[in-house]
Amino acid sequence: MSSEIILFIVVGTALAFDFTNGFHDTANVVATSISTGAARPRVAIAMAALLNFAGAFISISVAATVANDVVNADVITPTIVFAGLIGAIAWNLITWYVGLPSSSSHALIGGVVGSAVAAVGFDALIAGGLLGKVLIPALVAPILAFTVAGISIGLIYRVVGKQRPGTVTRGFKYGQVVSGGLLALAHGTNDAQKTMGVITLALIANGSLAPGADPPFWVIASAAAAIALGTYSGGWRIIKTTGTRIIKMDAAQGFSAQGAGSAVILASTHFGFPLSTTHVINGGIMGAGAAKRLSAVRWGVAGNIVTAWVLTLPAAAAIGALAYGVTAIFGTGALGPVLVTLASLTLIVALFARRAERGSPVPASSG
Amino acid sequence: MTATIVEGRALLETVVASVVAGIGVTFVFSVAIWGVARFADLSRSERPLAAGAAAFVAALGLLCTTAAVVIGLIVMTG
Repeated sequence: MSSEIILFIVVGTALAFDFTNGFHDTANVVATSISTGAARPRVAIAMAALLNFAGAFISISVAATVANDVVNADVITPTIVFAGLIGAIAWNLITWYVGLPSSSSHALIGGVVGSAVAAVGFDALIAGGLLGKVLIPALVAPILAFTVAGISIGLIYRVVGKQRPGTVTRGFKYGQVVSGGLLALAHGTNDAQKTMGVITLALIANGSLAPGADPPFWVIASAAAAIALGTYSGGWRIIKTTGTRIIKMDAAQGFSAQGAGSAVILASTHFGFPLSTTHVINGGIMGAGAAKRLSAVRWGVAGNIVTAWVLTLPAAAAIGALAYGVTAIFGTGALGPVLVTLASLTLIVALFARRAERGSPVPASSG
Repeated sequence: MTATIVEGRALLETVVASVVAGIGVTFVFSVAIWGVARFADLSRSERPLAAGAAAFVAALGLLCTTAAVVIGLIVMTG
């Protein structure tokens, strides 16, 4: 009975994480379209939510990586997965609160790694998988998106540079409807799968699934719904950071940034790399800006975002380890997870109340 | 060791696929936009033959863009 209660809490927490992932990453998906005027905010967000939902059904390669290639499922318990999720959610909310688009994916993997190390030690980690499928792609992907977006915008300016700006801008705004849609689809397929992977890992740890099993349909459908709802709920503060503070873009730059981001995320998803969609999209935005004019990128803001990226893995790991430590004080039963969940919910409500008191940074009527 | 080699190959394929898809789609779509812009200009200057050729280039560019996106999605879901 106790293990079922813990599993129930883990599934609920994982779906809550998925919701915060969508909420946190709305900016990544729609900011480019909104800032260039290609789509109105509400339309862009609704479309992103729908395509996030659809994207979650496209592939399960990333879910398989998270469930089988990062930590050793034989020594993992549902409580470890729970503590890891708390680490990830806490870090997501902290970075949302201060308005930095850090990586939800790295927060998730950092949280699970931190709680696993706290519980079992470094033997719990699959070093090859962590390095080859998470850390190296995490470094390569944003650089790749930066390069692809930079070359793309260079090509665009060579091909259409002498044409009438009005026609060209209108054309790329239409193009952004498609590239923005592809980005939302890509985001859904890579990010929702991480939650599917974590729930699958918990089900394997609980003995409900055989090691190496694929996520059941209910896991896929619930993860898809949670990320779509989170995306629809939006994150206006981070939209402002990503969309206008890194660089002021034209429609062609937005198209090349979104195209580069979609290509990198979809290709990575196909090969099962659980990369950070935030890193990739911001890499694309910076590439599209830097190729036109290095000074167009506000490097100070970009630097703050990079700092958040660097901090995410260790910070989420530390919070995950702390959450496991607190949970373990109450033994191996359901009491620890129940109390940590209640404490977390209280903190989240307090955080939202404080945010509401200070007002929404970008009014809903702004677009 | 084998796993690292396999992941290295997958990463390389990811890089190649991203470069080809990202830059390729952007290029063909730019050609389509070029075609539309030229069609508008040439139509205004009453050069129907050249405008028709520009419209053909635009249509071809759009067709290639659509085909690339559809093929990409088929590969993803396959």
